[in-house]
Amino acid sequence: MSALIDMLAIPVIRNAFIGMLVAGATLSTLGVVIVSLHLMALRFTLMHVGLLGAAAGMSLGFSATAGAFVLVPVASVMMGMLGQRFRISASSMTGFFMTGSLAGAFLLLARAGVPAMDVFGIFAGNILMLRRLDVVLVVVLGLAVVLAFVIGYREIQAVLLDRDLALSLGVPVQAVVAGLFLLLGAAVALALRLVGALLVDAIILLPGMAALRFARGFGSALVLSSVFGVIACAGGFLVAVRFNLPIGASSAAVSSAILGLSAVVTRGR
Amino acid sequence: MSSPAFLTDLTVTPHNEDAVTLDGVSAGYGEGPVLTDLSLRIHCGKLVGLLGPNGAGKTTVLRIAMGLLVPTAGQVAVLGRRLDSATDRSWVRLRIGYVPQVQAPPALPITVADSVLLGRWGCSFRFLRRPSREDRALVRETLGLVGMGELAARDLAALSGGQRQRAALARALARRPRLLLMDEPTTYLDQEAQRDLVQLIERLHAQLNITTVVVTHGREAGWRFDREIHLTNGGAA
Repeated sequence: MSALIDMLAIPVIRNAFIGMLVAGATLSTLGVVIVSLHLMALRFTLMHVGLLGAAAGMSLGFSATAGAFVLVPVASVMMGMLGQRFRISASSMTGFFMTGSLAGAFLLLARAGVPAMDVFGIFAGNILMLRRLDVVLVVVLGLAVVLAFVIGYREIQAVLLDRDLALSLGVPVQAVVAGLFLLLGAAVALALRLVGALLVDAIILLPGMAALRFARGFGSALVLSSVFGVIACAGGFLVAVRFNLPIGASSAAVSSAILGLSAVVTRGR
Repeated sequence: MSSPAFLTDLTVTPHNEDAVTLDGVSAGYGEGPVLTDLSLRIHCGKLVGLLGPNGAGKTTVLRIAMGLLVPTAGQVAVLGRRLDSATDRSWVRLRIGYVPQVQAPPALPITVADSVLLGRWGCSFRFLRRPSREDRALVRETLGLVGMGELAARDLAALSGGQRQRAALARALARRPRLLLMDEPTTYLDQEAQRDLVQLIERLHAQLNITTVVVTHGREAGWRFDREIHLTNGGAA
């Protein structure tokens, strides 16, 4: 315990721990949205768009996080709007964005001659490079997510239950969906920084999936996903520090273990 | 069964205005018109069947009445108010209860009571305003009215299709509507559940006197409508 406290005195480690803890407590609730709105393909696409944003950032000489942070929310809102405007199915839209983003990312990285280790950093994350500004961003986004659920609890609940029903009630469905897409996009971009493109699901999806196996209502699903998110992120962090392992991968492993255990515990329900 | 006070609140006093009036309405979804120059009137207090084959425009009529689809031509009035602006359409949506087709079990965990409570959205609570004790009392009353009082705490996804439709009916009634619109409410239910739901809707109509419009393919579910409107190729007969 005292060793951990000593480690947390180091700014780099402290930033990483706070970032993971806040992300686990807040961004994990978006997993409930992903599952309820059937956005599995969308969040996968956003991860690819994040890669493109990060590649663009590195190629143009500014930060990978900034590139992802700009491009992912823009793409997520664009997909929502274009899908509704031109009546393109979600699967077609995600296929287009996913393939195009991946192609663009590889072309940019090759063209700019980005070193292989830096490219690996995009895929696997590099949380120990987290700066104070990154931590502030995680906290601000976390608060935005919580605030969205507090202010629009019933509206989000109605949209997640049935969009047509929500429309018939007069709920501003398009605004709610656009807001959720925006938060989801920003969360994916930030999670890229924390755990890398390949492990975004550890924070954003898996805790929500585990929570939905136990929850009896929307509120309990949000609370449980937050609890599982904290366990995954904080637990993964502690395991990584204790055994000198990559933090992102450790958190992903704990997150997967939580989902696996929840599947076993709730089997037959 | 619900309290007399609640029934007094929900029961619609008979009046002479038309519940729905479509006058020369044309409408569609961008790939050619679904309705062309359709005119029809639905009087208040009636149980009306809107019948016709697939593609005849039955659901489109409901969407127009709810203000979810703006016609390309013609005039629409619902509950005595012309739907000329977004404000008119919002006004009318607060006074309409909508029952959709049987839905697949939702991916979102939600109790039956919470799903019915959503029916109060816009009427007494919305962003930043929480549901009141009266809202929750109304939910209990409407669930009792459709025979679902004991299932209030159950997960909606765990119910049968017929029970989910009863919950949807309770949600529509929780709005204290003056007009109930139902889009093929018995489709995908087995025969027994169809018969039970039809009997419940007919009983509630007789009890509460709410104008009720039911979209259906035909009479296979045993409906006894006050009036039937047959839609064919975008026109009414």
